[in-house]
Amino acid sequence: MKLTRRDLLVWSAGATAGLIVTPVPWKLLDDVSIWTQNWKWIPQPTRGPVEVKQSFCTLCPKGCGMRVRMAAGWPVGVSGVSSNPINRGALCPLGFGAHQLNWHPQRLRAVRHRATTSSWGEARAAFAKASGEGPIVIVDGQPGRAASSVFQAFVQKRGGSYRVVPGAENQALAPYENWSGVPASTLGYDLENAQTMVSFGAPLLDGWVTPGRFTRLWAERAAGMAEPQLRLIQVESPLSRTAARAWRWVPVPDGAEAALAAGLARVLLDERLVPAHGPVPSLTLADAAAQTGLGINAIQDLARTIVSRPPVVAIANDQNPAIAALNVVLGAVGVRGGIVTRSRHTLSAQSVQAVRAAPSHVSYVSTGADIISARAVLIDSTVPWDFTPPTDAEVFHFAAWDGGSSKVDWLLPAPGFLEELTDVPTAPASAIDTYAVAPALAKAPPEGQGAAQFLVGIDPHLIPAEKIIHTRCEGLFRERVGTVHGQEATPVTTLASVQQLEERLWEGAVWVNDPPRSGDFRCELSEWPKTAGPVPPVNRLPTWLAPVLPPLASKLYQESGLRESPEGENGRKA
Amino acid sequence: MSTRYGMVIDLDRCTGCGACMVACAAENNVPAIPQATARTGLTPMLVRKVSNGVEGGARREAFIPIMCMHCEHETPCVSVCPQQAVEVDKATGIVMQMPQRCLGCRYCMTACPYHARYFNWWDPSWPAGMEKSLNPGVAVRMRGVVEKCNMCHARLHSAEEKAAAAGKREIDPADYVPACVEACPTAAIRFGDLADQHDPVFREAHSADTFRLLSLLGTEPKIYYQSKEAWVRALADPDSGAHLEVEHG
Repeated sequence: MKLTRRDLLVWSAGATAGLIVTPVPWKLLDDVSIWTQNWKWIPQPTRGPVEVKQSFCTLCPKGCGMRVRMAAGWPVGVSGVSSNPINRGALCPLGFGAHQLNWHPQRLRAVRHRATTSSWGEARAAFAKASGEGPIVIVDGQPGRAASSVFQAFVQKRGGSYRVVPGAENQALAPYENWSGVPASTLGYDLENAQTMVSFGAPLLDGWVTPGRFTRLWAERAAGMAEPQLRLIQVESPLSRTAARAWRWVPVPDGAEAALAAGLARVLLDERLVPAHGPVPSLTLADAAAQTGLGINAIQDLARTIVSRPPVVAIANDQNPAIAALNVVLGAVGVRGGIVTRSRHTLSAQSVQAVRAAPSHVSYVSTGADIISARAVLIDSTVPWDFTPPTDAEVFHFAAWDGGSSKVDWLLPAPGFLEELTDVPTAPASAIDTYAVAPALAKAPPEGQGAAQFLVGIDPHLIPAEKIIHTRCEGLFRERVGTVHGQEATPVTTLASVQQLEERLWEGAVWVNDPPRSGDFRCELSEWPKTAGPVPPVNRLPTWLAPVLPPLASKLYQESGLRESPEGENGRKA
Repeated sequence: MSTRYGMVIDLDRCTGCGACMVACAAENNVPAIPQATARTGLTPMLVRKVSNGVEGGARREAFIPIMCMHCEHETPCVSVCPQQAVEVDKATGIVMQMPQRCLGCRYCMTACPYHARYFNWWDPSWPAGMEKSLNPGVAVRMRGVVEKCNMCHARLHSAEEKAAAAGKREIDPADYVPACVEACPTAAIRFGDLADQHDPVFREAHSADTFRLLSLLGTEPKIYYQSKEAWVRALADPDSGAHLEVEHG
């Protein structure tokens, strides 16, 4: 048989037509599509066993419970834990991208001495030498942790001071400490029982206290209701995120908050709208109206509105004593729905140390002159990056990310997000004591070292943080009070051993103390405070220790225009 | 009747925190491309700030999360796609985007009345090592394709796998919650089955305060918005004459 050109064409056409009705070309097309999605330079997610663990966010002192999805040992996703009574399943927007932070380009990977790369040995030798020559100061951003106890033990042995950088919530509670003697670190807001909140610039819906604690409350009792069960009145100059969603926004010029507080107090006392007999402000109502630009009638109406739905609490964003004095006039101190002290008499001193900032008054950085004359200052990685110590001493700054500070002599790489075992004491301004443990879930780079570990390396006689956490768990177990909130709530009294308590805490449960008793905290004020506090800097981001944001957050904020310049061009906070 | 997944977003509860945006991007492996701008970046979930246009003490602002509206009827992106890379899933009502089929013509972006579709201008990239933090359940999309919200379809797959492993045909609704819904700190975003009259989302979608964006187009979007404030509802009504002031970076 002779093969002609025509036969070849017929055969080819037939083969082509036949091929189309087979799966081959479609499979080939599909595979090509998939291949072109998987070039070797396209990053691919980690493959490996997936598991979900529970822990706590340690990027700020608020200690939100989080569920961490792990793949092949790396955190690949973060979400809130709805059963957690602290944050009730919510996280701040930065927390959702926190697992990216350990890979941020500004992650510190080596010890740096001024502009040069150095070593841990040299840093340890320099700190040991400096601490031998004169007093040292250790600055902590999250007091109450086991690491904080290591710091305190070190300064007690070597001579020096332990100082704390207060968060905005604790700063606002400082006037009550001055007037009552009760440490601000043991005070909190009983938000859950308040009916009216007057916020003087505090970003209640934007990172104030633990995310979820107030936002969930507000969403359930206030949002979208013409006559809400919870009235949120925001006194603030700009129409902030909180002011935009508040039941009422009262715009007053920056710095006029104290005048408005005085004006309100005067109306409350003159019209006998409150039973309490507080000090009468020296400022007249007319002066308050002039300073706030609101008018006398508006201030009177506001005062009547505020007290029409008790309990009422005024919330400041700084140490403004006039707003604290307004709470005294309102009778909002030491009562349900107001400023309360946590149940300080139900725990032993050792357990108090575990769940609070300190058993006695915390020495804040701003109140200490010793930092100026110190020989060396050690700043823990929990201190916000923008803190600059007022000192000429040699500064040793632990940080996981390089914020670009030029005033630091030693920059020491600290463990990043979930890379170090730590405990989580009570969140600032909480009305109830809590305690949790955040185990190290992520693989830490070998060059990182925490400040407590660094000090134990210098003085091996110090008790390491891990052992302190164990001791604290033993103490809480012996107290036999409170409940452990994990998948289910378990009273401590039903636990058989301290090992059971530790297991629960290591699995992401949180210990919660019994509710506080009201009436055990009183605040007497003989005269109205004369000076108002400084106008706080406008901070539109939640308290955030890292000088950088997760890349996703910075990208999305930039592209949505939701935040006003959260970062500069170099990726650092503006 | 098959499931019709949809959302009701309570704008009175939205504080504009952006948690939904970050959670969405983290869940779906959206790269943080440094050179991306508001015009060229990928934001499957985008929260916009709107105001009533009044200055002074009477000014009011609200935040509107915008994503793919998952149009049910004559879905514009489906009808223009030459590659059949977009389709409405008959079983769920989710408008699916298949990047493997997409050739990047961007007709769908032009057709989408909500501007909820984004083009991948760059190869996906992350800082060194950060690929270890990617969600293993979601494939990375390459340069040259369009993407958008798919209601976290990977989570639906997981829920279906879990149900199948348990020998069930139907998923447990608690197993399938999109990332933005899970992340919202005020529970402003509610997710459910719009075809189920017993689902709370069905009832909310048919309440008096609920509206849809560009509803006159007749595309039957499955994202509903809710607000008790008249000026917010007026934003979606072209006959109201309301002044819409959208702020964008």
